[in-house]
Amino acid sequence: MNEPVFSVRDLSVTYGGNLALKGVTLDIMPREITAVIGPSGCGKSTFIRCLNRMNDLVPGAEVSGQALYHGEDIYGAGVDPVTVRRRIGMVFQRPNPFPKSIYDNVAFGPRISGFKGDLDELVERSLQRAALWDEVKNKLRKSALALSGGQQQRLCIARAIAVEPDVILMDEPASALDPIATVRIEDLMQELKKEYSIVIVTHNMQQAARVSDKTAFLYTEVNEETSARWGILVEFGETGHIFTRPSDKRTEDYVSGRFG
Amino acid sequence: MRDTFHRELERLDQDVVRMGALVEAAIEGATLALVEGSLERAKKVQDGDDEIDDLFIDMESRAMAMLAQQQPVAGDLRLIVTILRVVNDLERAGDLAYNIASVVTKDLDIVKLRKVSALVYELGHASRRLLAKALDAWAEKNLELACQMDELDDEIDELYERLFRELFELQSETTFDVAMNLVLVGRYFERIADHAVNLAERIRYFITGNEEHLG
Repeated sequence: MNEPVFSVRDLSVTYGGNLALKGVTLDIMPREITAVIGPSGCGKSTFIRCLNRMNDLVPGAEVSGQALYHGEDIYGAGVDPVTVRRRIGMVFQRPNPFPKSIYDNVAFGPRISGFKGDLDELVERSLQRAALWDEVKNKLRKSALALSGGQQQRLCIARAIAVEPDVILMDEPASALDPIATVRIEDLMQELKKEYSIVIVTHNMQQAARVSDKTAFLYTEVNEETSARWGILVEFGETGHIFTRPSDKRTEDYVSGRFG
Repeated sequence: MRDTFHRELERLDQDVVRMGALVEAAIEGATLALVEGSLERAKKVQDGDDEIDDLFIDMESRAMAMLAQQQPVAGDLRLIVTILRVVNDLERAGDLAYNIASVVTKDLDIVKLRKVSALVYELGHASRRLLAKALDAWAEKNLELACQMDELDDEIDELYERLFRELFELQSETTFDVAMNLVLVGRYFERIADHAVNLAERIRYFITGNEEHLG
């Protein structure tokens, strides 16, 4: 049996004292794609932002419980969030290349982390892995902003993998892209999972069904008296299982479009 | 919210019952045609098979379109897949009723073989009842009902065996041709019952999500 990359135990998040995510427990396995689905406001993004301490950047955010990364609590004392983020890369909804050349975008991370090897080779390899090399190899010095949205997103993936991470977190990586560019990202994810573990947040259930090995369904609980809302993990399991015979009625209703 | 899709799916679900009712009527018609030696009834059953086949084709293409266009999942997916299998069973059962009706046109005159004709009637009646029960279980999506098919099915197997014995004992009063056709009729009814049992097992799959071995 593989050891999990992440063992999340009873993880809760509050923003300024308000509960946003409550008691999530699950394991993320190596070289698998784990999809996180659920209606808006259920805490999907909050959840994956815990996995590389991105929530540290949100004022008033507090995390309790454990997120064990290869057995070590990433919220433990003495853990440097920057080191965490180097091992656990992130790709966002909107492609956000730096206003620099294509080459410099990919070389940025290795440079600031003091990479000493052959940078040209690393840039090429990263762009190859992100399935972008053939389209940009003759214009590496051109601005990244001249690329199409889909190409920019693959550039962001190349930038994320240039620092040799272990995990790639993707927060709705294709929701700003057209269907063709979306399919390319999905194909790319299948390639990337040979070397990386991927966690993807998606609004698109068909996308979760298509690309992922495991699916986590988060759902919003509401306190009727105070109208306070927070996300909980309703069901976590094999994607095939979640989309053919989910165990929980709320999962069934959500994936079959009866609410949400 | 996918209201339009869910309404379409519900209509398809109800059409299973509609198709089942047509097959039931065909089985009853074929049984009566046989024991009464009525060519008219037999012809009606044969003509009615087109309606069953048309409905089968229509339901199959609607189910395929839903798979392609709606990407159903979970219970919706299981329902559509189950419907695709169930209409197959019903269509086959309809064909078997057609075959039974065709035997009537061979002018067997089994009315004279009173014991056999009573048995054939019982067999026809029992297989129709088994299908009716499976269709009730379908309409209600009733797991308990879908699990109660075995007793009736055993009864049909027993009737089929008795028909064999009866024909053997009546050797002197009948011809090879008549006996062979009646064995075939018995076999057709017995297979109709098998399709009804399949239907019930498919209901169990739809409800529980567990694939079981079909009996």
